[in-house]
Formats: sequence, C-alpha cells, structure tokens
Amino acid sequence: MTIWKPNDDGNADLSSYDSFVTGVPHNTFARMRKEAPLEWSEWDGGEGFWNVSRHKDILALNRNYGLLSSARGIRMEDQTYEEYLARRTFQETDPPEHTRVRLKVARAFSKSTISRFEDQIRQICIKILGRTLSAGEFDATQDIARQLPMRMLGRILGLPEQDLEWLVTKGDALIANTDPDFTDHVLDQMTSDEFRMMPFNSPAGAELYTYARQLMREREQRGDTDGILHMMLQPDESGSVISDREFRNFFCLLVAAGNDTTRYSIAAAIHALCHQPHLLCQLRKSGSEIWETATDEFIRWASPTMHFRRTATRDFEMHGKLVRANQKILLWFVSGNRDEEAFNNPFNIDLYRSPNRHLAFGQGGPHICLGIWLARLEVKVLLQELVKRVATIEANGEIAYLRSNFIGGIKSLPVKITAL
Amino acid sequence: MPTITWKTSETESITANVPVGITLMEAAVRNNVPRVWGECGGCLSCATCHVRPVGEWFGRLGFPNDMEDDMLDFTEVEREDDSRLSCQIKVTEEFDGLVLVVPE
Repeated sequence: MTIWKPNDDGNADLSSYDSFVTGVPHNTFARMRKEAPLEWSEWDGGEGFWNVSRHKDILALNRNYGLLSSARGIRMEDQTYEEYLARRTFQETDPPEHTRVRLKVARAFSKSTISRFEDQIRQICIKILGRTLSAGEFDATQDIARQLPMRMLGRILGLPEQDLEWLVTKGDALIANTDPDFTDHVLDQMTSDEFRMMPFNSPAGAELYTYARQLMREREQRGDTDGILHMMLQPDESGSVISDREFRNFFCLLVAAGNDTTRYSIAAAIHALCHQPHLLCQLRKSGSEIWETATDEFIRWASPTMHFRRTATRDFEMHGKLVRANQKILLWFVSGNRDEEAFNNPFNIDLYRSPNRHLAFGQGGPHICLGIWLARLEVKVLLQELVKRVATIEANGEIAYLRSNFIGGIKSLPVKITAL
Repeated sequence: MPTITWKTSETESITANVPVGITLMEAAVRNNVPRVWGECGGCLSCATCHVRPVGEWFGRLGFPNDMEDDMLDFTEVEREDDSRLSCQIKVTEEFDGLVLVVPE
C-alpha cells in the first residue's frame, strides 16, 4: 500500500501557500527535476524567484555562499533592508560572520552535549506515550509529535514548565504565519504593516521579545549562568557581544525552529507506519542497528523544511538560464530528497538506506541545521518507545496539512492503535 | 592521482586514488568512508569530518587556522593534538601515501 500519492497536475504554483494544503506537489517537482531544473516562478505577492529542484544542484549551490547569499532573507517573502536588519538572526548572515556566531552556540548543540540528553528524552517519551496510548484513538501530531520537542526546548533553555504551551503556540504563530489555524495574522491576508520589524512579520514575535527580555532579567538577578541563553550573551574572544535585538531574534529562532520541524518529522513517520504496517514489523523485529539508518530515512521522507531561499550576489548562468544579481533562488530540499538520480526508489521508505545523503537539514552548506543531533535523537527515541508499545497503528480519519510553502507537515493526524 | 588511506578501525581501512584539488573530506565522502559525513559541505559549521593524520603527516598537511581550531572542540570523538577537520585540507600531489585515522 502506498503511504500517499501526490495529486497536483505537475504545474502547481509554488508561490502559493494553498498549493501545499493537500501535501507536497511532488508531481511538479518531478517534472521540474526532469525538464526544468532551474525554473522561474512568478509571484503576485512580490518579486518572482528561481526554483532549484535537483539534489546535485542544491548541494553545489548551498555551499557557494559567495554566489548565493543568506544575508538578504531566507524565505520567499521580500524584505526591505531596514526590516532585514531588525529581524535577522545568524541564519540571515554569511560566513565569516555566520561562523563567528555559530561557534558561540555550537557547543550547546554538539553531538556529545546532546547525547547526554538521551535518558531525559526517553523519560519524557515514556510519559507522553503512557498518557496518550491508553486512549486508543487520538491525534498523533497534537498528542505525541508536538509534545516532545516542546518539552525538550524547555529543558534545554531552562524554561518553566508552565510557560511551554504558551511559547510553542507563539512559535507556531511565527513559523506557520501563513496558516489561519496557527495565527490570526495570516501573512498573505494582513492589512497592516505594523509588525514588519518583528520576526516573521508577526505580532507573536513582539510577545516573544518581551518574554525573552524578562527571562534574562530574572536570570541576571538570580545570578543564573546555566544554559544556552547565557552562553549566547558572553563576549567572544575579540570582546564583542551580541546586541539585545540579536539575542531576542535568536530566542525567537530557537522557539520556532526547534519545534515544528521535529514535530513534523515524527508526524510523517507515524503517518508512514499507519499506511505501511511492514515498517512497524521491521522496526520491532530488527536489532538496534536499524535505528542507525531508520531515523534519517524517516527525516528524509518528512523533509519538513521544504526550502530555504538565497539571493544571487552577481549574474550567473545555469542550465542555459541567466540568473541576475539580486534575484531570489529557492533551494527545494524537499525535491532533492525525492531525486531519482540521488536515491534508489526515492518514493519508498527503506529503513536500511545507506548512504542516505538527504538534504532535510540543509546539508552541504554553512547553515546546516544547528539542532541536527537533537532532532535525530528525539525522532529516534520517540519511535523506539512507540514501537515497543503498539501492536497496530492505523489512520482514523482525514489528515490535514499545514498551509505553507516553507514548512511541510501534517498538522492533524487522527490515528487508532492497539497496545502491545 | 595520489593514493590515500583511511584507517577506519584497528583492522579495517579504505584506500583510494584521489584527484588533486578536492578536499580530504570530499574524497572521504566520495569513497563512503564511515564517520566522515561532511554535513556542512566544508563551511566549518559541523565538525563531522574529523581525521587524524598518522605520524609525520600531521605537520606535512599544514596546521589548523583559528576557526578550524575552535570548531575542533565540537567533534563527536574528542580531539587530540593532531586532529584536523578534513574539509580544510586540499589534496595535492605530495599527498601520495597519506594515511588518516578516522577516530571512533
């Protein structure tokens, strides 16, 4: 049984958030990879953009930060220079500036630091599953996939438990700012430019700013020097510190980015288990070695961050087309991860796939996901604990996808299980 | 093309002819050397291409600059005095016979 079949006509409008509400328009990406590996899209909300769909091209371009800059915005939406300065994080910088900030936070997210969280993650998973599975029927995105990253964010940033639900709601309002289920200020339906200096052009950005400022003030008063937030505020070797605004933007980034992508990877994995029961059998019957490859295969399959945008710093030619300086280029990781030239049977889940050079974390460039080890560990441990506890898992109603061309995910996933 | 060997365990190794001009990380990825992932493509963002040149090779490959030195603090297997990030080293003709240990 197939997990899901794309239903677009091969010519989906990639600039439209609505093109993604029934899932990724993979027929369009398949056509582009075959016939038009560098294709122009018009957009009625702003400047049009180029689309890069092949795995090989994405890899080659992603590392070339001299040609394709992140310092002009990383999503399709246009920003003025003023807005860019107000809203940017180190995601919106290029090396060597990017590398300097990255080094400040790299320790907190390194594989060895993150591996120390494994027991905590497992305890949280056991708690979440214990509470949810007994119901028999539930929404796997809301009740399982959303719960773990939210709680881990709290642990890693040292935030009080009672604030987490509020924070994640705000994080969703930022990153899912094109979906009316997550925000009252839907990006393409906004009538005011009141929030244009805030992260993601969202009022939730303003609220998170205030929260971050209060949090740091309270910490300073207590003399609390633990955790990533403190690390961020320390001067580097040259004595430079990050500004108040940079700090608050980084806080928003952690709340937003650390949450939904892991959530949608877990959701996509559970969705796959519902429709291909042999995967559940494989996971249960195999030894621990299967997890070395299965986790990344589920993440390839999910590809929650569908693209990042870059901006050309000069004119260049590619596939017979002329890209002009200042034009936007979208690197469609979600398409690269289904590229027949890079993967055997890319539309199949192969839990033993190796090597698996997927691009779900933006591999191959300086902006590779900072939370890569945390995300992998969370997905792995949650699925390990789930597999131990369920005999069967099946779909139990209509699923719903996020309205976004940036983050792809199943926001509602009704399932029915029988416990082991 | 210089011949390069990666020692991946006490008993196992991978030897390959490597074109001049690519980095030692790219060479390892092309030859599926385990544990050399090169996830950031050589941009000093990930520390997943950690190798240790054997013996006198360490000095012959040059020395890490400040950024590489900082990033070496975040390798999965703790760094040693001769640790390098292989994305920062370009292959030259002089590398023929080079042996690298992939820490585990």
